[in-house]
Amino acid sequence: MKELLGQIDKPGVIESSCILQGAEISVSTFVSRNHETVAKKAFSYVFQNVTKLRTKHDEAHLEIGGKRLSGFMLQDQRVLICMSDKNTNVSLVRDHIYLLKPKVEA
Amino acid sequence: MADYKILFTGSVCSGKTTAIRSLSDIETIDTDASVSDSAIRRKQKTTIAMDYGVLEMSDSARLHLYGTPGQERFRFMWQLMMSDLVHDAKALVLLVDNTRNDPFKDIKFYLDEFRDYLVQRQLIIAVTHSDQQAHPDHAYYMNELKNMGIFTTVLFIDARYPDSVLEVIKAVLAEREPSVDWDELGKRLMEHRPPVIEDQSCEASESEQQEQIEQEKKPAEIKLFNAVSLMDAAMNTRGITGAMHLGADRKVLETNISSMQNQAMLKSMVNLVSALEQKVAFLGHIDNLVLCGPEHETLSVFVEERQALGLCSEKELSLSVVKQQAMDLLQWSGE
Ligand SMILES: Nc1nc2c(ncn2[C@@H]2O[C@H](COP(=O)(O)OP(=O)(O)OP(=O)(O)O)[C@@H](O)[C@H]2O)c(=O)[nH]1
Ligand SMILES: [Mg+2]
Repeated sequence: MKELLGQIDKPGVIESSCILQGAEISVSTFVSRNHETVAKKAFSYVFQNVTKLRTKHDEAHLEIGGKRLSGFMLQDQRVLICMSDKNTNVSLVRDHIYLLKPKVEA
Repeated sequence: MADYKILFTGSVCSGKTTAIRSLSDIETIDTDASVSDSAIRRKQKTTIAMDYGVLEMSDSARLHLYGTPGQERFRFMWQLMMSDLVHDAKALVLLVDNTRNDPFKDIKFYLDEFRDYLVQRQLIIAVTHSDQQAHPDHAYYMNELKNMGIFTTVLFIDARYPDSVLEVIKAVLAEREPSVDWDELGKRLMEHRPPVIEDQSCEASESEQQEQIEQEKKPAEIKLFNAVSLMDAAMNTRGITGAMHLGADRKVLETNISSMQNQAMLKSMVNLVSALEQKVAFLGHIDNLVLCGPEHETLSVFVEERQALGLCSEKELSLSVVKQQAMDLLQWSGE
């Protein structure tokens, strides 16, 4: 799994990534613990509410300081989280994740 | 004949079309169309492609003036212009509307957009609308820009007056082009082209001004008055289907979101943002939280110190457009 995250991280697009399973992080390439913790707290809260309110959203982005934290809901309810520079175009991040999402889900 | 080019850019209403019209010897080519979205509160016409004008500066020097469209949705034109028509321009003039909530945010945005373009070109910052809003003043700009690491010429101009706009041109070309008699040129322009003062200005109409004064007498109501305007502006913005205006305390001032589901979700997003603002301020400012998916409207919360904005928008609208629109709406709303 960690190798797979290694493929997700891509210079200039995605700095680090991790997988959120329930309320815990299962694997991670995050160097900044602080960002990892914020992502964990934020996305477990957000996607809990999505489930509760049945809004069907499967993607969330949080811009904080110079960074963007993005969470993508996977088929099995796990959440793929990645961090990018705020100035990186968000569509680059999304395209890259959409490409690799099936591999992570498999 | 020496030919020079200068490119004007800046936010909606900063006066690009007016500045070029003030200087041009030919009928300017502008491509203004009716405003359909957030700019609607202050303006009926906006430039959709570009402005172009020509000024005969002397018998041997001619200036071509180009203006970008201000609205972000025409941004593709900026790229097109930079790589083609104005790749050989001498300078970029950034017009900054002094009545905006935070003119420095505009400066940052445009300098970011034109960063590569500026590598080999001169930058002039020309502040407009200072007759309507005197602060920030010149000293404030110089100081703030210094803090941002930007060292450049800042001029205060009124785009409606040819001699005022000419000062900008002079700052770029005076040393390069000795054939021009600037005083003479200024006089000629003022004689032949008296200032274009139109009624479709960004200025609040008299009745609006009256309303403003009334509001100032009753400070408690200002918030609500402004909140209503922001909501109106939001509802006139392309792709936006509902809005929620929040105050500094992140409490709802006004909302027109009808779906209970969206309303509840947005509130939970605001709660999250407020909690993060308190707990992890050391990581930096929380700018926004966006929620999207293929089967539901996009929900977003944009946060500033003194206010925040929640939006429901069509899921097809790209996230960067939503973001730019929200930034624009927050800039338009008065404090
Ligand atoms: N009071 C005042 N009005 C100004 C000034 N500069 C421009 N205006 C007015 O502001 C209004 C908007 O100017 P435009 O030239 O249309 O603005 P623009 O930058 O071309 O806007 P877009 O094309 O929408 O991006 C016009 O009515 C001008 O007359 C100024 O310095 N002071
Ligand atoms: Mg214009």
